[in-house]
Amino acid sequence: MSASTASPRLLPEFRMTGNGFRTLVRTQARLLRREPAIVLSGIALPVALIIVFGVIPAFGKPSASLGGRTTLDVYVPTFAMLSSVLTAFTALPVSFADLRERGVLRRLAVSPVPAAGLLAAQVTVIAATAAATAAAVVLIGVVGFGATLPANPALMLVSYVLGTTALLALGLLISALAPSAGVATAFGVPTMILNFFFAGVYVPLQSMPHVLRDISGFVPYGAIVDTWSGSGAAWQHLAVLAAYTAVGALAAARVFKWE
Amino acid sequence: MPAIEVRNLKKTYGDTTAVADISFEVGEGEIFGILGPNGAGKTTTVECISGLRSPDAGAVRVLGLDPGLDREDVRQVLGVQLQESQLPAKIQVREALELYASFYREPADVGRLLAQWELTDKATARFGKLSGGQKQRLAVALAMVGNPRVVVLDELTTGLDPHARRTAWEMVEQVRAAGVTVLLVTHFMEEAERLCDRVAIIDAGRVVAVDTPAGLAAYGAAAGQRMRFRPSAPVQDALLLALPEVSSVERHGAYLEVAGNSEVIGAVTAFLARRQIIAAELRVEQNSLDDAFIALTSHPGPSDGPHPTSRTASEETR
Repeated sequence: MSASTASPRLLPEFRMTGNGFRTLVRTQARLLRREPAIVLSGIALPVALIIVFGVIPAFGKPSASLGGRTTLDVYVPTFAMLSSVLTAFTALPVSFADLRERGVLRRLAVSPVPAAGLLAAQVTVIAATAAATAAAVVLIGVVGFGATLPANPALMLVSYVLGTTALLALGLLISALAPSAGVATAFGVPTMILNFFFAGVYVPLQSMPHVLRDISGFVPYGAIVDTWSGSGAAWQHLAVLAAYTAVGALAAARVFKWE
Repeated sequence: MPAIEVRNLKKTYGDTTAVADISFEVGEGEIFGILGPNGAGKTTTVECISGLRSPDAGAVRVLGLDPGLDREDVRQVLGVQLQESQLPAKIQVREALELYASFYREPADVGRLLAQWELTDKATARFGKLSGGQKQRLAVALAMVGNPRVVVLDELTTGLDPHARRTAWEMVEQVRAAGVTVLLVTHFMEEAERLCDRVAIIDAGRVVAVDTPAGLAAYGAAAGQRMRFRPSAPVQDALLLALPEVSSVERHGAYLEVAGNSEVIGAVTAFLARRQIIAAELRVEQNSLDDAFIALTSHPGPSDGPHPTSRTASEETR
């Protein structure tokens, strides 16, 4: 008999009972509800920000430098996206690292549940939370404070979905490997700050050197913001986001550590 | 086809060899024990069987399947209770069972499992609030939730009080009664003797003996016997040691512990009778599986177990 090798497959195992996936999603949603602190910042911060921006009168006035749009108009999509960034780089990796640290994943590892199924279930729960938060932000901005939606809502929606999946896939990669909640934070937070930086949160993209602007198109949050601002080709940014999603998710399922 | 087949298994972590060369077969329907001191390679072996680790060399088969290659198929038929594995603190007992049940193609009935493992009252209790014994019962119930054909129980009774330990033994017998093959990892002699059809003694990453508990005990008995008593009058060690049957004498306060060959008990009793000394509270060590273990592994003591004349205790007094 020959020695069995670690994993002969290029693609990770995906087989899972349908009932298993549904029960896993339901259970993880329940556990998240019982431990709301994990997702709290990802929900509360974007909602708080849109309210603050909404009540500042100056932000509701059209500005020539923004092409006749208001500051609030510009920030509605940014804050809608913020929940995805926060949960992808904090809630998602921290929740997995915590399960890993406590030996919960060790127990799951000897059950038939595949790593891909586990990751997908948690992403489903986190993405639903992020999407609900984004919907709340848009609703508060538009209905509560009279913000107007961008001209091309379809492109907006596509970039939001692909952007969220790209960010979550990157967060999944950290989730797949981080041995503890501390390490998850140590990798998640800098990745998040890097994404903020290349999205022009700290320094406006317009005032960045050319080389940094070019890089920004290949960083998930940067690519999203570029799509919205109409700089560069939208299809190119969406392709970048799709690539992050596919490569990140597959790599995460492939390298997933149960312990 | 054996339920479990381990052939020339080898596993190293860096410079440390956890398993040097381990082979054994477990027949279907057997309760097979793996016994050995801490660090002998028991858990690594179990982790290779469960598919948590891949062997560096050698092969592992569960019902003919390779846990590394046929991951899903092996897990559908293999139930595992592992050390250091946990559930989320806030999951409820029933939720945990329903979650794990949902992963299997033919799961057991959760309500029946709750009743069988006396967890019905605790169905809505959170895992974090359970006692050690309740957690252990849930761990076994979870190992059984997929209606497995083979179950691995790793140190099932470690950390349990004597009462809970006996309950756990009854659980293992219930598992076997359901027709399931059991691989039981333990470092308690008494447990192996009481439950196992056959036992493999593992030491320093190798199998040193595989036999029935009675067979191993006979080996231990041949290696010698031991008695412990409180003499009614002082006895000189040297006089006892002068007896050809005696190999060692130890003092534990007022007590003497005398070890020797299979004739030692008769010889010492006769010696004391000649001097009109009474051996009060005389205890003859019955559990000679203990001796077999020591003779085979050359380790001072196997356990902090419930054994009446545990050698670990005497080590401390020495």
